Amino acid sequence: MRSLSTTFRYTLTRLRAQILGWGIGLALYGLMIVPFYRIFGAQQERFQQMIASYPPEFLAFFGADTASMLTPAGFLKMYAFSMLPLIIGIFAVVAGSGLFASDEEHGRLDLILAHPVGRTPFFLGRCLALGVAALLIALLGWLGFCILLHGSSLGISWGQMSLPFLSLLIQLLVYATLALLLSMLLPSRNLAAAFAGALLVVSYFLSSLAFLDARLEAVARILPHSYFQPVLSLQDLHLTWLAGLLGVCLVMTVLAWLRFVRRDVRLSGEGSWQAPLLRRRKPA
Amino acid sequence: MNTRITRRPSGEFAIEVRGLTKAYGRMRALRGIDLQVRRGEIFGFLGPNGAGKTTTIRCLLDVIRPDGGKSFVLGVDPQADPVAVQASTGYLPGEMQFYENWTAARQLRFLNDLRGGRAEWGYVLQLADRLALDLHQAIKNLSKGNKQKVGVIQALMHRPELLILDEPTSGLDPLIQQEVHGLLRDANAAGATIFFSSHVMSEVEQVAGRVAIIRAGEIAEVADTSALTRRSLNRLTVCFKQPADLSELAREPGVEIISQKDYTVLLRVTGDMEAVVRALGRLPVLRLESQRPSLEEVFLTYYKK
Repeated sequence: MRSLSTTFRYTLTRLRAQILGWGIGLALYGLMIVPFYRIFGAQQERFQQMIASYPPEFLAFFGADTASMLTPAGFLKMYAFSMLPLIIGIFAVVAGSGLFASDEEHGRLDLILAHPVGRTPFFLGRCLALGVAALLIALLGWLGFCILLHGSSLGISWGQMSLPFLSLLIQLLVYATLALLLSMLLPSRNLAAAFAGALLVVSYFLSSLAFLDARLEAVARILPHSYFQPVLSLQDLHLTWLAGLLGVCLVMTVLAWLRFVRRDVRLSGEGSWQAPLLRRRKPA
Repeated sequence: MNTRITRRPSGEFAIEVRGLTKAYGRMRALRGIDLQVRRGEIFGFLGPNGAGKTTTIRCLLDVIRPDGGKSFVLGVDPQADPVAVQASTGYLPGEMQFYENWTAARQLRFLNDLRGGRAEWGYVLQLADRLALDLHQAIKNLSKGNKQKVGVIQALMHRPELLILDEPTSGLDPLIQQEVHGLLRDANAAGATIFFSSHVMSEVEQVAGRVAIIRAGEIAEVADTSALTRRSLNRLTVCFKQPADLSELAREPGVEIISQKDYTVLLRVTGDMEAVVRALGRLPVLRLESQRPSLEEVFLTYYKK
């Protein structure tokens, strides 16, 4: 327990620049976008004309339509939340892939794990810190979106605003745990980040394109972004989706843990480890 | 029924290794190592680069897992209970890597926290003072030698029962090397067992009581350092003032004339130098240079592998 809390504390401290950078950036975006709805409402006619001039495919790409665009939910979905998982997902991919592999590739993990920490408490401490970092980023972003709500014409409460951020947080956890698992299986941190990052982008585009082409729906259904829910009411929130994504996170974390506690720690400068399925063990 | 032995009664040995094997893909790093390090001794682990020293050490600390064989550190199987082994051990890796933006003090506090804060900070400051290290410097601003000093301090600061050091004086200047040797002797006098690897024979001779020689993943020999010293190999370059009769010198036991050109002779001397110096004293010697051979040369001479 002691080594878990020590690991948690130091990992969270090391993540603080990323938490502040991404969290404050997200909050500033909220502070900018929320008052914008007043201008949007004041010049509704002009915006209606502008939206009507958009190709329907463009609106469909963002999961919006002409009718819903002028509602608070439609406005926030299109202008505030449509790209957020893609942008903040970069943090998740970088932090998840580097959670252990970064120290290992720099040769620091060798010394750390020669201390009496235990691999499991060490793994849990770091994973917990990553989860809390993602939570703090989502919290800072949520605060940024809420501070000016009172004076805005959006007419939604802080509680309602928390729902998209809850979904965003779970998206972050999915990409972070995926990157973590890949960093345990692939030869390098960069490769893990590249694969997880590619899935982040592909997931975003295929899920969006699935609004335009029904043939893509089957593929989109297995991608995480399809389950991102920028909704403002509890009735619209699919709790089963959230639970399902959390389950996926848990499975990926357990697989990463199994790999971490079993494998050799590399030294800096050593060659990549081989993918486990391709490894040929020579009898000693 | 599971009959795996994970703990042995803490007996005579601080480290006991039997038939340890480890392969990295097709490369067999350890080919069945057998080793016994007694409690309270300073034990040198000598071998050329790539011989398997670091692999053995990392197996003992459960940072990597052996493919076969058994090891016990302070009576505990490191693969079965690594935390118990690591709690009683101080480890210095062959290549020290730290968080570059942290100061040396912060790095040491972090490592101490991983040990549950067992080290007294006053002792840390005392060690830093002996090694002339400024703990307030950022790691990125430290030279390789100073980073090595941080490594030495973190290994010693919690007064471990067993010290496992991978080339502890690598990168240090001769004066600080002497200081580190002094620290190791002090730790040993306080009861710690010291197991350290090196590829420098003179360092092992200076500090260790016993030595194991490893080559290509196999233990070539385990001996008392004094026995090794008696067999030590030296190269002598002798310049004479005028032509000299070397027949008497060549008859001395352990002397081999490797080359002779003009007034300069290259000799290889095994063991005691006393008789050689006496024989040279009767000759018109202008200059005399002694050189320790490389470890590889020692292996080629003694182990013929």
